[in-house]
Amino acid sequence: MSHLANVVWAGRYAFNVFAYCVRCWRGRLGAWLATAAAIGGVLSLAAGAELFLVLSERSLSEQVRAASEFQVFLADTAGADQVSALKGEIAALPGVRHVTYRSKAEALALARHNSTLATIADNSDVNPFPASLVVDLSDPSAAEQVTTLVTHDPATDRDVPSSYTPAEGRHLSAFLSMAQGVVVGIALAALAVASLVAFVLLRSEIRARRAELRILTLVGTPRPVIRLPVLLEAVALAVTGTVVASLTLTFVGDHVVPAVNTYVPFLQLGSATGAVAAIRAATLGSSVVALGACSLFVRLPR
Amino acid sequence: MPDLMRRVRDTLQMRLGGPTTTDVVGAPGSIQLRNVTAGYGGAPVLSSFDLHINPGEFVYVVGPSGAGKTTLLRVLFGVVRPDTGWVLVDGIAVHRLQGWQTDTIRRRVGCVFQTYELLPHLTSLENVLLPLQLAHARTRNARACAIEALELVGLKDKLHEFPGTLSGGQQQRVAVARAIAHQPRVLLADEPTGNVDSQSSAEIMELFGQLNEMGSTVVMATHDEFVLSSYTAREVRLQPTLLKVAS
Repeated sequence: MSHLANVVWAGRYAFNVFAYCVRCWRGRLGAWLATAAAIGGVLSLAAGAELFLVLSERSLSEQVRAASEFQVFLADTAGADQVSALKGEIAALPGVRHVTYRSKAEALALARHNSTLATIADNSDVNPFPASLVVDLSDPSAAEQVTTLVTHDPATDRDVPSSYTPAEGRHLSAFLSMAQGVVVGIALAALAVASLVAFVLLRSEIRARRAELRILTLVGTPRPVIRLPVLLEAVALAVTGTVVASLTLTFVGDHVVPAVNTYVPFLQLGSATGAVAAIRAATLGSSVVALGACSLFVRLPR
Repeated sequence: MPDLMRRVRDTLQMRLGGPTTTDVVGAPGSIQLRNVTAGYGGAPVLSSFDLHINPGEFVYVVGPSGAGKTTLLRVLFGVVRPDTGWVLVDGIAVHRLQGWQTDTIRRRVGCVFQTYELLPHLTSLENVLLPLQLAHARTRNARACAIEALELVGLKDKLHEFPGTLSGGQQQRVAVARAIAHQPRVLLADEPTGNVDSQSSAEIMELFGQLNEMGSTVVMATHDEFVLSSYTAREVRLQPTLLKVAS
């Protein structure tokens, strides 16, 4: 019976606190909606900017990787056993995803589709393009190990063993790292600015409630109970702002990004589906944490 | 699970009204101040102040503006912490309370403010009910207690009115109802008739007189001569910067 009374009491108390939260909002719905809309706008801008940055970085990385296709050129005299052994050794190196063999005929066919090499391909009596092993690297800087391995191998071309040098590989790697760093930096800056603006909005919202918080303190309401509605309000603002930002993000991902892909084809931003889901989750998590933390720093009167 | 529930209940009870380490033995309903110096920003408004109020006594705190009437009530209510001395109110050592502990004294005494301090977005009933629900969570039949308090102050027909639609006198009576709803032994009032007309002032004083006759200790700060003449009680007279006690 006592246990039941405790459960009833706890439930009733939780209901009273929740009812108070609802009463707080009842009288200030207009101001609350305005604040939520402003926070939603700020989060939309930050999330939209982040989406374009992520898609641009992804596109840039893919283009750089495609342009930096690493090939090990094979000597015309190389036997099938030698090529197979070399392929296995390269595939075993760290930083190598996979290795594929490209024959002389395939190299000639590709050259005919390349504006720079087409003339050579069409005007030669014999096929001038060597067979090669196309190496897919997880990072261009891994080219150094591959080059070291293949330089003195009898199966490789003695004069030009690979498509680019280790130094060029390191430059490519550095460029990719820098691009990723810039994207992360700008994304963090956007998040910081969004959090700052949201904090200022939340603070003005709480300042408007200063008299109410003082009265609650004066009538002896325990401080955690006073803080709870403020915390709930901050979390509700963050969730509502994220909903607005998610809707904006979905619109941008479904309509704006495909339009950019159509009208500015060299950008090739690709599909935004995965990035939108990730940014939506990041916006929700970061805004709830940032605004929730801000609400806990509100000073209550003595 | 029952153990966990019991621990949660006990913890909440400690926070919401149970005994705390700040409790000391003292006569219920009494007020004692000994060698109290208090003020704002290093400038003392009360200096080496002594006062003893017996349980069930009605005391006026009078004096010109700046004499420290409001500061004295703020010290009793835990809003201002004294620089020196000790303060006992209804058995609570108020001088020991940290900022986060002041709800202890505010749940124990009732306080009426000159500016009413009502929440504008709550009705009369909700204003009285809110402290009972949030601060005095163990109160049984909180709604019935709130309605009874509002009946006592003559506002039975204004339960669902918002403060903005009530007169100054009616708002002050709602504030009185809020202060007495949890049946405190000590009532503090800071210029409760300061913003109301003479008719409302008389009604409010009659109400405080009734509460005193029912056993409540009442400390009222005022500079209103009409108030002083309406109910006979001991006067504690304050002077600016230097406090003197006159019985």
